[in-house]
Amino acid sequence: MKIIEPGDWQRTSPLAILFFFSQLIRAIVKNGWQGLAPLAALLLAYKGDLAEKVAIAGFGFAVVTSLIALLNYWFFRFQLTEDSIRIRQGILKRQQLDIKFDRVQGINTTQNIVFRVLGLVVIQFDTAGSSSDEGNLPAVPESFAESLRKRVGRRRGQATETPEGTSKLDPLLRLNWRDMIYIGLADRRVYVVLALLAPFIEKLGETRVDILENYVRDVAEGTMALGVGISALATIAVIVGIIGIFTLISIGAAFLRYHNFELCLEGNTLRSTGGLLTRHEHSMELGKIQTLRLTQSLIQRSLNFYQLLARQARSSQKNSSSKNFVIPRVGVDQAEHLRELLLAPEGSGLTQDPASDRFNSISPFYMRTRILLNAVPSVGLSTLLFTTTGNAYALLFLLWIPISMPFVYLGWRHAGFHFDNQGFVRRSGVIGFRSVALLYRKVQRVTVTQSRYQRKKELSTLRVYMASGSVKIPYIPLSLANQLRDYTLYKVETSKLAWH
Amino acid sequence: MMFQNPEIAIDDLPNMVDLDWQSLDPHFVRRLQVEHGLTALASLAGATAFSVLVPVPPFVTIPLWVLVVSFAIATFAWPGISVPRQGYAVREKDIVFKKGVVWRSVTAIPYNRIQHVETSNTILDRKFGVASLKLFTAGGSGGDLKVRGISANNAERLRVFVLNKIGASIENH
Repeated sequence: MKIIEPGDWQRTSPLAILFFFSQLIRAIVKNGWQGLAPLAALLLAYKGDLAEKVAIAGFGFAVVTSLIALLNYWFFRFQLTEDSIRIRQGILKRQQLDIKFDRVQGINTTQNIVFRVLGLVVIQFDTAGSSSDEGNLPAVPESFAESLRKRVGRRRGQATETPEGTSKLDPLLRLNWRDMIYIGLADRRVYVVLALLAPFIEKLGETRVDILENYVRDVAEGTMALGVGISALATIAVIVGIIGIFTLISIGAAFLRYHNFELCLEGNTLRSTGGLLTRHEHSMELGKIQTLRLTQSLIQRSLNFYQLLARQARSSQKNSSSKNFVIPRVGVDQAEHLRELLLAPEGSGLTQDPASDRFNSISPFYMRTRILLNAVPSVGLSTLLFTTTGNAYALLFLLWIPISMPFVYLGWRHAGFHFDNQGFVRRSGVIGFRSVALLYRKVQRVTVTQSRYQRKKELSTLRVYMASGSVKIPYIPLSLANQLRDYTLYKVETSKLAWH
Repeated sequence: MMFQNPEIAIDDLPNMVDLDWQSLDPHFVRRLQVEHGLTALASLAGATAFSVLVPVPPFVTIPLWVLVVSFAIATFAWPGISVPRQGYAVREKDIVFKKGVVWRSVTAIPYNRIQHVETSNTILDRKFGVASLKLFTAGGSGGDLKVRGISANNAERLRVFVLNKIGASIENH
């Protein structure tokens, strides 16, 4: 295999055409799907030999997109320098990217089936700061990605401790096919889809019932009760069917994304690989981690597992989400072990286990404010509707207050925090759990807020801003909030370590 | 709920009880009142036009007028209450801001976390000799802190001061 040396401008493998082609198709689908309906209408309205025209149009489309992909490949060059990689690309609009190694947070790779056979990868550079200068490097040898990782690591003064050529380290975590099923089952998107489909399901249930009802009547004089029973059964069958289909889809998605998931720690770099057809390789330097978030939804709770998220600094670009490193299925002991490694050495004194008795609860006065927050809009809404329409049903909005109360209570029960000399963990959640761990020295700024009511009770809300977003501990004693703030500032201002 | 064996005695840490709070420029109250007065005038004109042009019964117009007028009074009076409660304190290693009437908050930003500083002023700001100071920390738009109504001189001095502090904290690394 050709070794890539610094200095000269080079092309990637011609197989990059595949990458550009799929990128193009993706862009067309993303931007052009609204045009599909008019196109279909046009085709339907068209009189004449449709098949031939469609074939010609399809052929033309294929030729043009292939040509563009080819040109994209032709104009794509890259150059390696001592401290950066330069990429020149674009057909009409020429663009040059200069990606400095010391701004690269991670080098992620993806590998589709063809590339996997040929040992090629697509590299994505994960850079701090604006996302506009993030670049792709398609179809380069795996070994090149590896050498680039080493180079970036060296630039950042964090030489990986693994000697070259040795066998891979033992993974910290491995997920098998059973885990994929669990991940798929806990995918909450199923229920979102179900909620969106709910009105249609009702309709569907009714139509099904008509058919069934007629059938039953034909067979033997069906009673009304039987009709209602069948109606309910049919609706349930449809719902179960839809849940089943979507669950299968989400299990399939879990296999596609995480099949053979492996998590390794190489020196200071955390790396995950996984995926069935396209293999994703994701890496992140430990020092980049701002917060560790352990979450458990209701379904995950019944299946007894968690998801762990390592959050990186959010880029300054608007609308860009913070970059997360996802570990889709961990047990609580694994999560504790991972936290010790990922926030080493300072984070070892903390715990993220929501069941731990080390968590302090927040003031119960928190519930009063929550209940008021729920009550004011519902009282307002029902008064407004009742006075304007006079309809007594408007008062049903008041029911929201007793309905919300158990949830407010759960929210308070699950809220908690604990801290040591290096950082704190904040626990929250209503029916699920979330516990966020952070180190004081990575904090960007701190705010202590008091409402009028909190002032009366000498309580306050502490909010620390991390580069990945803010974390808030509400309704703790003012003196404690002040102590935590002063200590956090002390740690930030005396720490010689970089926060990123 | 206490620190156990902290690296430094908590009582020795600099606290924020007796800080040397700097208040905002007193002209800032007038400047906000002018802005809010203009907004109030616009909404009064809108309400007048509405009640003249659209034939609506008095049970709609009277509450509307009450609403518009009380809103105008409130926005006019509010700066006089809120501005004196805002302020900042410059410390050796961080800068602290306070604000709020109902919800009072105190925010501290260490100099070694500030990425850059910006001062800005609008036409109205210039008329009253005030400026805004914006401090950027990492973490997207949620990481920025903007303080309005510092006298133009002080804003500029703060900008230079903070810039020097940022430079010093980088050299220390």
